[in-house]
Amino acid sequence: MRTPKKSKFVKSRPIRDQFDAIKPRFLAFMIDWMLWGYVAYAVMYFLQRYWWRYIDFYNPLKLPPWGWPLAIIGTLEMAFLTHAFTQSPGMAASHLSLVDDEFKSPSFGQRLLRFAKMNITLVAQPAVFLLRHRKPERLLHDSPATGIMIPTAILKDVVPVSKPCPLYKTYRGWFLFGILIMTFWLGVHIARIDLSKLISGWDYMAKIFRELFDIRLNYLITDVNTGGNLFSILYFMAETVFMALFSTVMGVLVAFPLSFLAARNIMGHSPLGWAIYSFMRFVFNAVRSIESLLFAIVFAIWVGFGNPFAGSLALFIHTIAALGKLFSEQVEAVDPGPLEAITASGARRWQVVIYGVIPQVLPSYLAFSLYRWDINIRMATVIALVGGGGIGTLISFWKGEVGRVPDAWGQVGGVILVIAAVIWLMDYVSGRVRERIG
Amino acid sequence: MEDLIQIDQLTKIYERGEVLAIDDISTNVRKGEFLVLLGLSGSGKSTLLRCINRLIEPTAGTIMFDGQDVTKARSRQLRHLRRRMAMIFQQFNLVRRSTVLTNVLSGRLGYAKAAASAVHKFSKEDIDLAMANLERVGIPEQAYKRADELSGGQQQRVGIARALMQQPDLLMADEPVSALDPATAHSIMQYLEQMNQEDGVTVVTSLHFLSLARRYGGRILALKDGQIVFEGTPAEIDKDKFKEIYGEDAEEVEVR
Repeated sequence: MRTPKKSKFVKSRPIRDQFDAIKPRFLAFMIDWMLWGYVAYAVMYFLQRYWWRYIDFYNPLKLPPWGWPLAIIGTLEMAFLTHAFTQSPGMAASHLSLVDDEFKSPSFGQRLLRFAKMNITLVAQPAVFLLRHRKPERLLHDSPATGIMIPTAILKDVVPVSKPCPLYKTYRGWFLFGILIMTFWLGVHIARIDLSKLISGWDYMAKIFRELFDIRLNYLITDVNTGGNLFSILYFMAETVFMALFSTVMGVLVAFPLSFLAARNIMGHSPLGWAIYSFMRFVFNAVRSIESLLFAIVFAIWVGFGNPFAGSLALFIHTIAALGKLFSEQVEAVDPGPLEAITASGARRWQVVIYGVIPQVLPSYLAFSLYRWDINIRMATVIALVGGGGIGTLISFWKGEVGRVPDAWGQVGGVILVIAAVIWLMDYVSGRVRERIG
Repeated sequence: MEDLIQIDQLTKIYERGEVLAIDDISTNVRKGEFLVLLGLSGSGKSTLLRCINRLIEPTAGTIMFDGQDVTKARSRQLRHLRRRMAMIFQQFNLVRRSTVLTNVLSGRLGYAKAAASAVHKFSKEDIDLAMANLERVGIPEQAYKRADELSGGQQQRVGIARALMQQPDLLMADEPVSALDPATAHSIMQYLEQMNQEDGVTVVTSLHFLSLARRYGGRILALKDGQIVFEGTPAEIDKDKFKEIYGEDAEEVEVR
């Protein structure tokens, strides 16, 4: 790339430049601070676990009111320290390096002064940020006496590239390794990982397993009275399959047009387009992050507990969001060449979509739709557990009969067997179809 | 001769990286001429071509096409202007999964009835014209094949047929033969020459090879770092001019 020539048409934009220059440094500091905050949280947790519970079991260890500012300042100082004296994880993540005015690593004294000045900067920088004219990338604590933080990429242009230091020889490597070990340790305690429970619960489990595998299929076609409703396993299975079918087909039909509204290369040409694009993106991401089980809870209240319509709606909503996101990513990944060619011939934008985009995305749309159909069938089998209807109704019914009906677990086993058989069959069919398309 | 395009103080700066791709270019294209743009990669040839039909928005300057200001055209007027300027591309830019015929017909979208085109319906005349154009570029038997089943040379012919569908006044070609072998390159260039001489279409094409430019070009415009460094007939390019365009270390390569 040749060096850009300055031109009278390049707008000057001091505030934005300043913001752009400060952004990586802000992010770097926030990462470091948050890492130390995480360490502080772990310290509190382990203190409680290994020390305080033996002193006062009933009152868990809590920070006193004055402890909060102390924790905040303590983590801040640790972040300052690591920022001034090392190449910290945050700096590495933001590609920043600390150098002196000769682009060498600053001395111990310079770093110490830097550490001290950072405390003043924390308070004073916001005040002088807009008042004082400085180079935007320079904060108050940047000076020849304390070293200056610059993007590593710039440093590489100035000094010869040195051999990269292996991670295990750096502070950063050890710190991150420590964090990893700490996370594992915390996880064992917080998620209450206890392998001995697997052994102590085994006898009861073995009994249930024996009953579960004593599979009963006497209600395969014969109706069973599930709290006033008379349905068989196959009836519920059909209900489940059609729930998945309805939600997938309708979901695809709705997601198809919406996906183009959420694609940057289609919408990003005007401010209104950007607004629609951002809005659709937000909606897709928000809806997608909520499991369909949670939607089912809402719809079960709305249209009736145990009504398959509730489950269908829940799956439908989730399908729109999930497919809309996947589809729009496909649209964004199309080859722009044909779109350019069709645009150049004087076609309208929607004609470009019909003739340029749709032929390119159709195969992957089909593959994703079939994949979604697989997921929906699987979800439809369990969505009854929160009142969404479908074959899960039978599982919760028979599980409720345990103790009252002698072969209740065997009936559950029968339902699970049918579910497994149908899912396997659907998997096989959609896999074959997807092979054909691909 | 009358001017088809007048370019006045055209500048293009890419916002990201602030690269100055076209630096204050003023020139014109005469009606019916065969103009060749020469220059190294990154000299601004593609950007210049794409500014003419506004696939790329110019930063400053004006482009007049047959008396109308392209740079100020609003959407409808711009589409009507684009209909008169066809374009073919280095990578052919066909929709690979569509049939050849659909690809050719997509060049007619600017003229087609909007509602009918939404359901892939074209008039009898348009389909006849498409077949006639495929016949003209010598591949009528490929009409119902998928575009990606064709060889590179055949794909570029589809690109030419698509351009012919517009019945254009101007044909712009962005490195039309760079992805092709020398023999195929000549056959493609001959179609451009034929369009230029028989249909009177003004041709503006960017080329890498000076030998192709010498063989086909009526006039040559050489760009370097976004500026015009040479303007004249192919015969006027001597060794010194060549080095000025391509740099000191360049050697002239023949394409036969």
